[in-house]
Amino acid sequence: MRLRGGVSTETAVGAGLAVVVTWLVILPLAAVAIGAATDAGGLSARPFLDVLGSTRIIANTAIVGVGTTVFAVALGGALALALARIDTPGRALLSRLVTLPLYITPLLTAIAWAWLGSPRGGLINLLCRRLLGIDSLVNLETSGGVVFVAALAYVPLPFLLISAALRSMDPALEESARIHGASTFQSLRIVTLPLMLPAILGSALLVFVQAMGLFSVPAVLGMPSGFYVAGTEIYRSLNNFPPRLAQAAVWGLLLLTVTAGLTWLQTRFLRRHSYATVTGKAFRPRMLEIGWPRHLLAVFAAFYVAVAVVLPVATLLWAALVNFITVDPDLMEFGFKHFRYVLFEYPKTYLAMENSLILGVATATLGCALGLALSWSIVRRPGRLSAYLDQVSMFPLAMPSMVLALGLLWVYVRAKALPVYGTIAILLIAYLTHYLPIAVRAGSGALRQLHAELEDAARMTGATWSKTIRWITLPLTAPTLVATWSLLFILSVQEISSSILLYTSRTTVLSVAVFDLWEAGNVNALAALSVIQLAITFLVLLAFGRARPREVVA
Amino acid sequence: MSAFLAVEGLGVSYGPIAAVEGVAFSVERGEHLTLLGPSGCGKTTTLRAVAGLETPSAGRIVIDGAPVFDSVQGLNVPPEKRGLSMVFQSYAIWPHMSVFDNVGFAFRVRGIGRERARPAVERALALVDLAGFAERPASRLSGGQQQRVALARAIACDSKVMLLDEPLSNLDAQLRIAMRAELSELRRRLGMTSVYVTHDQEEAFALSDRIAVMRGGRIEQLGSPAEIYAEPRTRFVAGFLGMRNIIDAELRPLAGQGRYVEARLAGDIVLRARDPVADGNAPRAAAIGVRPVDIRLETAGDGITGVVARSLFLGDVAHYYVRSGPIEICVHDRPRPELSDGREVRWRVDPDRCLVLRE
Repeated sequence: MRLRGGVSTETAVGAGLAVVVTWLVILPLAAVAIGAATDAGGLSARPFLDVLGSTRIIANTAIVGVGTTVFAVALGGALALALARIDTPGRALLSRLVTLPLYITPLLTAIAWAWLGSPRGGLINLLCRRLLGIDSLVNLETSGGVVFVAALAYVPLPFLLISAALRSMDPALEESARIHGASTFQSLRIVTLPLMLPAILGSALLVFVQAMGLFSVPAVLGMPSGFYVAGTEIYRSLNNFPPRLAQAAVWGLLLLTVTAGLTWLQTRFLRRHSYATVTGKAFRPRMLEIGWPRHLLAVFAAFYVAVAVVLPVATLLWAALVNFITVDPDLMEFGFKHFRYVLFEYPKTYLAMENSLILGVATATLGCALGLALSWSIVRRPGRLSAYLDQVSMFPLAMPSMVLALGLLWVYVRAKALPVYGTIAILLIAYLTHYLPIAVRAGSGALRQLHAELEDAARMTGATWSKTIRWITLPLTAPTLVATWSLLFILSVQEISSSILLYTSRTTVLSVAVFDLWEAGNVNALAALSVIQLAITFLVLLAFGRARPREVVA
Repeated sequence: MSAFLAVEGLGVSYGPIAAVEGVAFSVERGEHLTLLGPSGCGKTTTLRAVAGLETPSAGRIVIDGAPVFDSVQGLNVPPEKRGLSMVFQSYAIWPHMSVFDNVGFAFRVRGIGRERARPAVERALALVDLAGFAERPASRLSGGQQQRVALARAIACDSKVMLLDEPLSNLDAQLRIAMRAELSELRRRLGMTSVYVTHDQEEAFALSDRIAVMRGGRIEQLGSPAEIYAEPRTRFVAGFLGMRNIIDAELRPLAGQGRYVEARLAGDIVLRARDPVADGNAPRAAAIGVRPVDIRLETAGDGITGVVARSLFLGDVAHYYVRSGPIEICVHDRPRPELSDGREVRWRVDPDRCLVLRE
């Protein structure tokens, strides 16, 4: 329809958004597919054959993907049940602590656990040798170690999603099962578990996509003993000389096929098994009273927090302050010399910190703006265009961030018209795309709670579309936007999987600097730098104290 | 065309589903038109299309001589440029602003400062009995007060036509009746032109100069409250306005009797009925409608034979359910002790009060 006085602002914004998401999401996807089929300028099946021949690495990737998912979902689900539905003592505090690993990167957890559990120099083994005279008690530089640490790091995702679903389930459903003769356990199994299935599967898929494309944990715990997965293989293909871009792209395509295929299956499954009984409404759940075993559950949750948060952070702190790594108390001296080194002598610190902070602020700000604009179009103007926006902006959930980075690399090494390669702009594009689903979900959640008539009333009182957004929508969604902003900032400062492929010496970021120190074996400086990185994260968390990730993630 | 607001051939569709089709009406300056109908009849969609909050697929809307929507010319003026105001069902009071800022929003939008806007805002607040509430945060208001603020906001912006979307439906019964009277008085004093949407027939009767009864996205009947009440044209309108006795009938014209016809009901009961449509072409099969108060009950004499099946004593009135063969009618009368259950009675209807209803 032709409109007098030009196109309306809303229509223009909708069309602009379609261009932006296509550029952000579809372009790198297409690039990975094209890159995989192109070897040294021509079409070739060589890279495919090479990759499909590395059955060992494919098997390792599958072990890490499936193992991490199973452990993280089982642990996260158990914690959700214990802290959201059972009268576990201290559950309010514990449910906050259990989400803390979200703010500690898997890289740091892996490094700390490598120091604790490596077969030779691991602190646990050293202590055992000193105190008990036993050799090599634990060895985390194995597939089991990778799965263990990755699962620890990803537990908060299933925990948040499943406990949100548990809270929004009408307790009357369970009560009626009890009244009709089911025991507590039976009603959980027959009524609750099937109703939780969408949340369980959803979080499983989320973890699986992350675990399949995982780089940091297998790089720290796997590479030393020759345990390679797709993520580390992509890194090696690009870091060797000459870089094997096509091979990396084939790995990317392989990962993408698996994750996208599973996402498609899940969507189909959920279409048949979504239950209207799990509404967005919050119920006051009836706490199951289980007697004395509830104390065991509290110990179990506290143990998780100890292993996933306290022990790694304490290890990093200790290593940052001690003169060198030793278990002999007589040799230990504590001081700030590693901090001094990292802050005043190590040349990359300032550059990395500056880049990370700029990227954090830019990603969070642009991400919130883009997320709100997209979710406004999706929620307020349903139609064919908004269905496209909705679907495409959720694609990155099925794209491991390394694969995304590969696509961007392929595009921007060539794209002379848009010279972002070698600048932090390419990292910004990667972060924005990777975290787009979080921003859009947060925005949609906030807008669905905002009655559309509040905006209509402004239009009817003479406000244009943009004034309505500025004066009504923005102020009323501000709490969610602030929470989303802080989460996006923290996630960007921690990001490594795509950064490791996209950075150059001028555009290094904190996580990459930490990884560099790890590869150089400079453990104390590394500990000091990661303590600084953690401090930034927790300062932001404190500053936005009331911002709850719960609403944003779930 | 002298209408102040004119809607012609309006259609709104969501994909293949037509929510509103072929709706046309006009409102004179100072007139109050009500769109009345059950939920899902398209009344709110029609109102929102007039407001510009919904984009119609067909039709033309003209306000005060200026077209604001025309599907043929591709004209669609955005809502803020149509010079309307609107009161919403949810009130839509902005919780992050004070009462003053809510009511004075139209001035802020036009870049008029607070002090210059103050007299108009305070006048509007005084009109809805909220003088002195200006600095109150809007989130600290009761439902009834929010309703008044919404009204003040609509008054303050000095619009051509005020649109009201079920503004009273969220209030409790007592407050609703009080606000109804206030609203009617306020509109009379301000000489507003308004389009009102409701599903409550009493509200429609009390607040309208004309009523458009809607069903399935179309206007089924348009007329003054008295007309609509006295002469519903269709089975739906009659039923929606509480005509209790609607009975299938076969109609036969009575030669030389003008608008009167013979209606044959089930069980060979024959009544004389009046066709309110002047064309004299009553359909063969239709229905007749009679209000319960228009039926005379006697214990003997002329009329159709029936038996009191059951009765309901309600104080001032009693409801008698009378069975005559296969049909049952409801009669409202003063309580009459002689009409006990099982009593044989005769009933009659004045042909003027027995209406032919079309489908």
